[in-house]
Amino acid sequence: MADHNDPNAINSIFSDIDVSAADLYDIFGFPSDDRDGGDKVLIALTFAAIPQAGTLDSDLLYRIRIAPDRRITRDADDKSLAGLFRYFDGVKKKYLSVLKPAEVRVTVDASNRATVKFMGFPGGSFTQVIDTNRSVVLKSPAGHAIKVYVGGRDDAFFNDLPGFFRSINYAPQFYHVPHTMPEARELPIPKTFLELEGNDLFNYNPKIPDHGRGVKLDLPPGPWNLTPKAFKKDAGGNFRFVYSGRDAQAGKNVNAVIVEIPLAYITATPNDHRIVNCWGESWVRKAANKVETIPDEPFWVERPLDLVDAVELDDELKAYKLVDTDGQAFADAALSEREDSRQMGANNFWLAPHFVKRLAHLGWGFGPSVTALGLKCAFDHDNSPVSLHRYEHSVLTAFPRVKKVLFQDMRMPDDSWNPKRLDIPLRRAIEIFIPNVNSIDMDTTGTWPFGRRLEDQVATRFLSVFLDMDAELKGRKYDIELLNNQALWDAAPIVPKTPPNPLKNDVPFLEEFPYLAEPHGKPGYP
Amino acid sequence: MSLAAAAGSAPAAVAAPESDFARELARIAGKIAALGEGALVRPTDTERVTAHVDAHYRRALLTSDLAALEEVEPRIDSGIAIVPHPGDLWLLKARLAFHLHRFADAARILATVAPARACAEGQTLLADLDVQHGRLSAAAERYAAVIAQARPWAALAGLAWLHLKLGDAAQADRLYAEAGDELTAKEMRAFAWVELQRGVLDLAHGRHAEAETHYARAARAYSGWWLVDEHRAELLAAQGDLAGAAALYETVVAAVPRPELHQALGQLYALMERPGRARSQFVQARAGYLAPVRRGGVHSLHHLADFYAEAMIDGAKALEWARRDLALRETFSTQAALAWALLRDGQAAEAAAWMDRALASGVKDAHLCAQAAAVFEAAGDGAKAATMRDLARSINPRLGPFHVHR
Repeated sequence: MADHNDPNAINSIFSDIDVSAADLYDIFGFPSDDRDGGDKVLIALTFAAIPQAGTLDSDLLYRIRIAPDRRITRDADDKSLAGLFRYFDGVKKKYLSVLKPAEVRVTVDASNRATVKFMGFPGGSFTQVIDTNRSVVLKSPAGHAIKVYVGGRDDAFFNDLPGFFRSINYAPQFYHVPHTMPEARELPIPKTFLELEGNDLFNYNPKIPDHGRGVKLDLPPGPWNLTPKAFKKDAGGNFRFVYSGRDAQAGKNVNAVIVEIPLAYITATPNDHRIVNCWGESWVRKAANKVETIPDEPFWVERPLDLVDAVELDDELKAYKLVDTDGQAFADAALSEREDSRQMGANNFWLAPHFVKRLAHLGWGFGPSVTALGLKCAFDHDNSPVSLHRYEHSVLTAFPRVKKVLFQDMRMPDDSWNPKRLDIPLRRAIEIFIPNVNSIDMDTTGTWPFGRRLEDQVATRFLSVFLDMDAELKGRKYDIELLNNQALWDAAPIVPKTPPNPLKNDVPFLEEFPYLAEPHGKPGYP
Repeated sequence: MSLAAAAGSAPAAVAAPESDFARELARIAGKIAALGEGALVRPTDTERVTAHVDAHYRRALLTSDLAALEEVEPRIDSGIAIVPHPGDLWLLKARLAFHLHRFADAARILATVAPARACAEGQTLLADLDVQHGRLSAAAERYAAVIAQARPWAALAGLAWLHLKLGDAAQADRLYAEAGDELTAKEMRAFAWVELQRGVLDLAHGRHAEAETHYARAARAYSGWWLVDEHRAELLAAQGDLAGAAALYETVVAAVPRPELHQALGQLYALMERPGRARSQFVQARAGYLAPVRRGGVHSLHHLADFYAEAMIDGAKALEWARRDLALRETFSTQAALAWALLRDGQAAEAAAWMDRALASGVKDAHLCAQAAAVFEAAGDGAKAATMRDLARSINPRLGPFHVHR
């Protein structure tokens, strides 16, 4: 139509790609309760149910990457800034040169049959084509029994995601934000657990009860910045919680790759390698590769097995583009600001300086609201009476304020996480989020942060990183479950009187593999 | 499937029901129906307005319906009046203005609407505008800056085209390949478009088999697209199969009655010494070109200059349209068009002066060089003409009499 080069002569400026099957949701991982024949680890990677639950997108490739390791040993002087960077450097070296992650790779063909490849494991590599939506037991070359499920399930994550987005004033959850306005995603309003006076954009409006829960409004004209004088209180003197405790994922489905693998298959030294680091990746097929797979030659149709054999595995991955990674809950949403360029999985050590500054930014917001509730905060916010919207532009200024958040032991509520009563150090935020992996300790129950069990309320446990774990409430030290305690909220001057997120999933988990509940309505099933 | 077979098959431009093109059009139609005309009437919201306007814009582009495309603009204006943050719609309006060759309008929008200017698409559009005003170095720098940020395929393709025009075909093809590599299985139409450009690149250098390979990949990537058939028809003509090319053009033009296609088909018939059919196609082409001009549009000016110079061989009219186009933008393309029109009008000396200006841009294109040779020959500069002829042959040893103006 034009007499010049114009790629957009065939395109609008808006993406015509719908919600993507590449959108990873969660990666669960914990030691299996079934220890018959030795330790086994359960790993479940969940992602958007596109095109529908039980039917996977044949243009996608999913990887669960697995790197067994010894339990971490700490530097003697590891709470200084120098120690912090030594830690980052150690992680970098380990993931770039020492650990050689193995992987479970899954693709699905047009008939919804899954090709599952186990690659790089000491127990031997092998490939098998399986039915989707059905649990199967595969045998490794060395005879290990591996359980696999690929297909639709209930979304096992139970959380008040709109509440979290309200806490960080994330506009796309509540408003139509044009794509030419990336600056209007996290609006310049202090992050907070408690509603702020004058925050008309995000405070709960009883006239629009579902605002942010499916109802989006047009973003009002700016400016959107707010410098609040106080937290909002009602006539009774109660704060208003940004969370509702409602399960936003109730009734929703996911697609999932779920595996239960013997530790002896993952590592040649299962007694030594007690940590199983894992993360998920989604890759989308490149257009060039799709063209080559569109059958227009008899060879492709008549001899498909020849084609499969002809494709080297490395070449297979070259035909895809990495889209998303998922390791630690909230690592992306809270700490990487959901930027595509920061989807780095285990390689997120490159973002370490950003991570320190971002944690400080969150601390200036969340910290004062923690203090206002009468709780002690691990972030040094200079006793600010109200949340502030402040960025630390230097790691040097951010570090002293976030030091305790980074380095304090995340106390567990009791010893049940450590059934063998071994000398296992408590995890710290720095170790949890860098690298961005789910680091499963096989000598624990695998409850977060020693992995992630299905029943863990990780959304609320994540918030506890801002609590001062040295503080006490009614004679008891703070722990990662404190904010899940209904009694705390019953006694607090706040409405609604609820823990931030629901305490359990909308449907019960299963007692046996694949553990995640059946999908709602079972759409798309044979 | 051979191209000859393709030409003889059912009309491909009338997309088969199961083709990718037909499915996409059906999806867009479904979206338009679902959104309804009420999308642009309060109460509505940004998402609905944007989806409505975008769907109409997308359909007009896909069907290459210039009148429908012009009619999108009032919809965009209505949307801008309704939504509180119309940055996206302003960007779309700028893109539409560019598409319709209203470059000043596009530039004005980008100068005044910061969100539209700041994003990667806005910066790419600024680079496109640089090209249209002959600022090729500035365009290359801007494309490169956008690519350094996010590697959008459109910017890679824009830079590739610049390298192609400046004579570095190898670098151009590398960049086109990189653009293709950025595209995923969810963007197959865009991938097909990139393959078409790679085919055009090969065709411009006389590599017909390679061009055919790229066109075949485009057809596989996105089936049922008339644009692929149109490129294949040109290739058939370049290979000397004028009858096959004409047959394929007939099917394309039956589905997409663009004046450029009528002109190309008419020129083919002229080469086949079928003046009656040629004349019929030229009449339809002229009507198609003049219709938007009567509506106040400027999109056809360049085509009209080419039409009167190449199809009607009317130098005076070619000159009139070429001057009007040059007033909008001065680039090697409009300079060369003016030179060619001047030659047709018998003003060889002035034609040579304008051709010198076009060549001073650094562009190395076989067709342009061949035209330059003719201009310099007529102006009495035999040595320069010979140099240009040699250059044209070195770029494309198989340069023929049939040329599609892209």
